[in-house]
Order: sequence, then structure tokens, then C-alpha cells
Amino acid sequence: MSPAIRKLRGVGFAVVMLVVLLVLNVALNPARFQPSSWGTLLGLAAPLIGAAVASAPVILAGRGGIDISVGPLMGFVNALVIQVLFLNLGISSPWIIVPAALLVGAVVGAANGVLATIVRIQPIVATLGAYLILTGVTLTILPAPIGPAPDWLKAMAGPLSIVPLAVIGLCWLLIRRTPYYDLLMAVGSDDRAAYTAGVPVSRVRLIAYVLTGLFAAAAGLMLTSLIGSADPNIGPTYTLIAIAAVALGGVSLAGGRGGLGGAAIGAIDIFLLQSLLTTFNVSTYVLQIAYGLILVIAVVLTALQERLSRRKG
Amino acid sequence: MAEAKALRVRGLVIAPGVDPISQTIAPGEIVGLAGLDGHGQERFLRALAGLEQPVAGEIAVDGKAGSITSFRKAVAGGIAYLPRDRRSTGIFPTQSVLDNFAISTVSNDRRLGLLSFAARRRRYEAYRQRLGIVAPRPDAAITTLSGGNQQKVLLARALALEPSFLLLNDPTRGVDVATRHVLYDVFRGLAAEGMALVILSSEIEEILLLCHRVLVFREQRVSAEFSGAEMTTDTVIAAMFGRAA
Repeated sequence: MSPAIRKLRGVGFAVVMLVVLLVLNVALNPARFQPSSWGTLLGLAAPLIGAAVASAPVILAGRGGIDISVGPLMGFVNALVIQVLFLNLGISSPWIIVPAALLVGAVVGAANGVLATIVRIQPIVATLGAYLILTGVTLTILPAPIGPAPDWLKAMAGPLSIVPLAVIGLCWLLIRRTPYYDLLMAVGSDDRAAYTAGVPVSRVRLIAYVLTGLFAAAAGLMLTSLIGSADPNIGPTYTLIAIAAVALGGVSLAGGRGGLGGAAIGAIDIFLLQSLLTTFNVSTYVLQIAYGLILVIAVVLTALQERLSRRKG
Repeated sequence: MAEAKALRVRGLVIAPGVDPISQTIAPGEIVGLAGLDGHGQERFLRALAGLEQPVAGEIAVDGKAGSITSFRKAVAGGIAYLPRDRRSTGIFPTQSVLDNFAISTVSNDRRLGLLSFAARRRRYEAYRQRLGIVAPRPDAAITTLSGGNQQKVLLARALALEPSFLLLNDPTRGVDVATRHVLYDVFRGLAAEGMALVILSSEIEEILLLCHRVLVFREQRVSAEFSGAEMTTDTVIAAMFGRAA
């Protein structure tokens, strides 16, 4: 079996679902899914893809690694860029806004990482703290939605949203070609074995949190492009859906299995499911139920598939 | 590979209130560690690997200043350690054979900053031939290999560090007889090249077959040391149980 096929099998269910959902969407809602509007659709999906991709590194690092502050961090970046940088300080240059956002993401990620790996607070608790703090700070600097966004940022909303996604994809491809990727997967696979193999386990995990922060900040910028304004309430809603997307994309929540590509496919699945159900005018409450069901089914199927392939192997 | 360096253990106390251990492990030497389980031989080996803090004493490698107090320093001093429990502290079950091999030496495959998988494969291939690893292909999951072959991959991982000292914690446990003899030949070959090996084994025959000398542990200290004609099943067992032979 070629490595490409083996890789696909890991995210197998998500890919099958992607194809099925895409066909259903195109068949049932040809107006929305005509080729000329795919760029707009990508723009709509971009923040969720970004959030899912951002959630993946810490999950890959294993031992309960998770960052539930991804959503609030996106919201915080959104509020910071519009309210503080653009409206208060009058800064509109992408050369300042993008690095500033990424810096904020890296700092928040590093803070989460220090708490989770050095202070050794359970990741879910540490990042819950960050979740609450960021949500509060965002509401403090921005009590109500406000606009507008700088023009260049708004311009990134449609087909151009492929640019930040491609940059993130490229970064990940580069990371995969560095020693760090091997260390990350080893730590996620078995941290005790990694320790006895000489892997600096805590440092590898800490860097995973920083990566998550950086990607979450990028997702925050994509969110800002999409809504073209600042809204303190949208960011936090991404957290749980992003984790669902990661699980759907075949990334093991136990760590060491999967990748960012799978997480992105999982996110696209959820987006397509969302638009399919919207076509049927299903209420958002039912949407939630559907997410939950699909997630549970996907994870069960992935686990079954793994168990079967292990028996064969 | 190994310059003529010795591993010097001075006054090492591995548990409170026991006699210190002083040993020099010379290049090319195979030293066995025997004893009933839990009598200190594993602690001694792990201390040599920097994985366990001794109560007192120091472990030094010729030409390196300072004592080995951490795993990192041990690796820097040319010490490689092969853990005992392959399943829980050895292999990465979700990773491929190649990844499992390369994890301790990931940076060696860098070309212009990025990893070259071709270089890694070549490196693995050399060890695969030397150790006779039977694996369908390098990117197969490590869990598809037999226990003996998994152990060989772990040995290849340790050897990839090009150590001067190789610490083996019960290396043939759960390994079939044929593979055992392959491993013995590899160990002898490494020693002939000047590597020093310390082998903890729960099987006395293995120690008698392989080692130049044996340290028998009883109650957290070295209760006897044998080499040459003195080293027999009877003497080692007697020392393990604290009796005169």
C-alpha cells in the first residue's frame, strides 16, 4: 500500500463524508454551490478550518493535551485588531496588524504551555482559565460589536481566504520536514518512551501550545476578515466545534495520531453539514444535535476501523 | 566509533545506608549485572544512564568534566540506554519502524535545515542489515513486527547515537532464541570495536555466555564480582542469594 493511501485511511471516514456531503450540497443547493461561489464558501469556512487546525498541535502532543481557549483567543485577536489597533491607534497596515496578532497568539499559547507543561496543571483546566480570562478581557475592551475592519482585511474574506490557509498549510508542511515533527508525534504516541529515547518532552509540548496560539491568532484574523468587524461573542463559539472537527478528522484525542490536514477536512465536513442542514431550513438547535451525532458516529467508526486494521496487521 | 574512554563510577550509593560502589568500565568490555529482581542492579544501571539520582557518588566519563546527573548529560557523554519494558517505555506504537528508529537522532537527517527522508532511510538500512531486522518495509507500523524485531529496532535506535557505552536492561527478555543469538553476536561485535557494554540480565546463562565479568547485586550493593573461571552458574547464584559458594 502506498504511503498516500495509508495516510488517507487515517482520515478515511472524514474524506468519505467530505465527498458525500459535497455531492449532496451540490445536488440539493446548486445555486449556493455553483463553482463561481466556491471562493465565498471557502471564506465562510475559513475561520472554522483555522480553529480546527489550531486545536490540533496540542492534541497531537498527547497526555490530555487540549486547548479550549482557541475560540476566545480568536475573539480576543478580533477585538484587539479592530478596537485597539485599528480604531483607537489608527493602525491599518497589515505589516503591523498581522505580526501583532501572531505575537499575541504566541504569548497566550506560551502562557497556556507553561501552565500545562511546566507548572503541570491539567491542560483542560489551564486553558479553561485562559478561556475565561480572554472572554472577559475581550468583553472589557469591546462590550458590543463594532466596525469596520481595514479594507485589506475585508478583502481577504472571499476567495482570497485561501491565502492564509495556504500559508498555514505551508508552515505545517515545513514543520513536518523538521525534527520537531518527529519529536511531537513521539511525545504524543508515548511520552514515557519519548523520555527514555532522549526527547525533551516538556519543551516539545510547550512548543505545541505556542503553535496552537499562533494558528489560533491566524484564525482570529480570518474571522475578522469574514465578519469585517469586531464581535466579542463569536470567538468562543468556535472552541468546541473546532475540537469536534479535529476528532472527526481522525486526530486521536489521545495524541500521536493524525495531522493538521485531517483536522482541516473535519472542519470542512462540519461546514458542509451545516450548509446542508441550513438548506433544509433546520433550526440551529437541531444543527447542534446533528453535530453531536455525527461526531460520536465518526469517532466510533474511526476507532472500529483502527481496531480492524490492527487485527489485520 | 568509540575512542578509548572509560566509564568511571566512584563511590556510588544507590540506596541510603549501603556500601558505595566503585567500578571502572573499560572500552571493549562487556559487564554483566546479576541479582534477584529489586536488589539494586536496575537502579545501578538507570543511575549510569542518568535516569535515577543516586544518594551519593559520581559517574564520570573520561574526557568529560562533571558527573552524569541527568539523562541528557549521559547521552552527551556517549551513553545509550536500552530500556527494559519495550511496550511501555520503548516503542511508539502509533509510529512507523523508521520513526521508531530515528527518534533519538532526528537531527542527523537534516539537509539544509529540512529533514531528508532518503537520508534517514539510508541510515536505517545500514542498521537493518547489520542487525538483521525483519520488517516488511520501513514505513510499516512498528506494532506489525515481532517482539525480537521490535527490540532490534530499539537497539538500532540506541546504536544510531554512536555511543561509547551501551547500557542494556534485560535486552533479550521476551525475544526468541534465534534472535537472541543474533543479538549476542551483535553485542560481541560492538565490544570488539571498542564499545563498552553493561548488560543487566535476569538469565545467568546469558551473562556467562556474553560477559567478561559480572557484578552480583544483593541488598542494593555489589556483593560479589566474578570474572574468568570464577564466573560460573554456582558462584553467581550463591552470591545472588547471599550464600558462600
